[in-house]
Amino acid sequence: MSKKGFFTDTTLCIGCKACEVACKQWNQLPDDGFKFTGLSYDNSEHLGSSTWRHVAFVERPMALGMQVSGAGNFSWLMMSDVCKHCARAGCLESCPTGALVRTEYDSVYVQPDVCNGCGYCVSACPFGVIDRREDDGRAWKCTLCYDRLKADMTPACAKHCPTASIQFGDLVELRVRAQQRVEELHRRGTTEAYLYGADQPGTEGLNAFFLLVDKPEAYNLPPDPVVPTRKVRRSWVSLAGAAVAMAALAVAAVTGV
Amino acid sequence: MKWHLSPGRNRDGDGRNIDESLGVLAGEGAHQDVRETAGKGARPVPEPKERAESTADRDSYYGLPMLKEPVWKWPIPTYFYVGGLAGASAALGMAAGRFGGPELRPLCERTRIIAAGGAVASSALLIWDLGRPSRFLNMMRVFRPTSPMNVGTWLLGAFGGFSTIAALLRQKRTGLLGPIGDAAAFAAGVAGIPLAGYTGVLLSNTSVPLWQGARTTLPPLFMASAVTSAASALDLCTLPPAAQRAVRRYGIAGKIAEIAIARMLEREAGVVPRVIAPLHEGVSGSLWKAAKICVVASLAAGVLRQRRLAGWLGTVGSLALRFAMVKAGTASTLDPRASFEQQRARLGAAEVTGPAPELEQGTAVPAPERVLVPAGA
Ligand code: SF4
Repeated sequence: MSKKGFFTDTTLCIGCKACEVACKQWNQLPDDGFKFTGLSYDNSEHLGSSTWRHVAFVERPMALGMQVSGAGNFSWLMMSDVCKHCARAGCLESCPTGALVRTEYDSVYVQPDVCNGCGYCVSACPFGVIDRREDDGRAWKCTLCYDRLKADMTPACAKHCPTASIQFGDLVELRVRAQQRVEELHRRGTTEAYLYGADQPGTEGLNAFFLLVDKPEAYNLPPDPVVPTRKVRRSWVSLAGAAVAMAALAVAAVTGV
Repeated sequence: MKWHLSPGRNRDGDGRNIDESLGVLAGEGAHQDVRETAGKGARPVPEPKERAESTADRDSYYGLPMLKEPVWKWPIPTYFYVGGLAGASAALGMAAGRFGGPELRPLCERTRIIAAGGAVASSALLIWDLGRPSRFLNMMRVFRPTSPMNVGTWLLGAFGGFSTIAALLRQKRTGLLGPIGDAAAFAAGVAGIPLAGYTGVLLSNTSVPLWQGARTTLPPLFMASAVTSAASALDLCTLPPAAQRAVRRYGIAGKIAEIAIARMLEREAGVVPRVIAPLHEGVSGSLWKAAKICVVASLAAGVLRQRRLAGWLGTVGSLALRFAMVKAGTASTLDPRASFEQQRARLGAAEVTGPAPELEQGTAVPAPERVLVPAGA
């Protein structure tokens, strides 16, 4: 089975939220309460246990490359965010039950019949993606439409995206296509376009990566994310040192030397 | 609107709007148990520390948190205290059993009871905080060394077994059962030492800026604080003079270590001021300050041989320390700029992978003038 993923080209996004709706419908997820936030057109605000695609609306009171809309003095940067299905995933590496697994498509999947809701993945994800649903008690996130992949279908969000902002396919091929798109945009003058996550060192790549035209922070993405496991060796070493000290201390305390 | 009237699971509207007489609930999210409708079952975005009215500054997305708030409630910091207390008691008991004379036997017995009681309480607290408590045994269906929580569960399981045997056999000195109890107490001590500190590794192994930023000092801090907790609990027990002296030495050393390591932690995590800010302000800041004051006061009381006072102060201080650390970590999670600034300061992936080329060359960070073309230009 080849590795599958998403390439989300934010320069093509029109903010229609068809992906959010398609994801909700196909996966039969409950609603978010239909609240109004007043933050541009963003009323879902973040990815969560029952929101597996989220469209961010970044507003700029000026004209940017290809993102001008309406009167010409205003730009929208829109990005459909999703679980990155990290090549090295914090959620998966921290999961104590083995509920989080890597599938044959190289995606990261939570098995709902195993998850016991410890919540460790929620804090381990460097992107703030996975979350626990409090009334359900378990952690949930995008499955890369595992059921659809099994039936040889495209994930619901990519299928419904009317502008091909969300593209699904073989990762190798997607990366080539994404690189070509960046080059094309540069040729056409949008020199700020770059790929986020195609080759992320901290997670050894993201299987869902993005084409952005602004700093990652503007889209609420971390500029230099890292899977926590890669940095924690130092903690274990320091624990070992402290353990020796504690044993020595206990002996010294009883013997009085 | 037929679905409003349809029978079955969706009659009251669980937010899915699926008429089960026409469709089947078989999607990947169909098993989400909805007890709270209108979106209340999913956790909302917490009110950001600094909400931004617009996205014009480019440094955050309306100030909304980038990470998810930890889901853990009061049982988890309480467990950090209780588990540390049990582990450090078992460690002292191990040393007293192996290297102490018969005059320390009452200390052995006392530590065995504290260790076993702590193990039981720890398990209860951990299970209590699970989203699905009935599935707690799933923790032991795999061994996953990359997950400190998994490692810790095995550790706690072993510790619980040994310390329970040791406690049950605490009055047996001779025959077959005496040595078995002593061996179990020794094993409990060996497991208890890492048990007292792995929780620091557990917290460090997250994306929470403060905990990740304090990952060298957090495990030793929790271990030193565990020694304080154990000595303080024993200070509140009736013990013969020889045992009192051992406990006093243990406590004084633990408290000095705790004060010193707390300082080192402030220095380690304080490289990026935003990351450490929650230890200086708000509820978490007050708790942190209270913890430090209590430990210093407990140390003074211990030196002046005021056992009870030292015991109470040490106990309060250790508890406050765990709550401060958890609360401050949560606060740093909710401040997106804490993560952003930490990573921009080369303390993200760059620490282990070397500086990311994008960060170095600025391609991932288009200079403002390249992106922001004012209208008409
Ligand atoms: S983005 Fe988060 S939830 Fe998705 S695979 Fe990576 S670590 Fe896991």
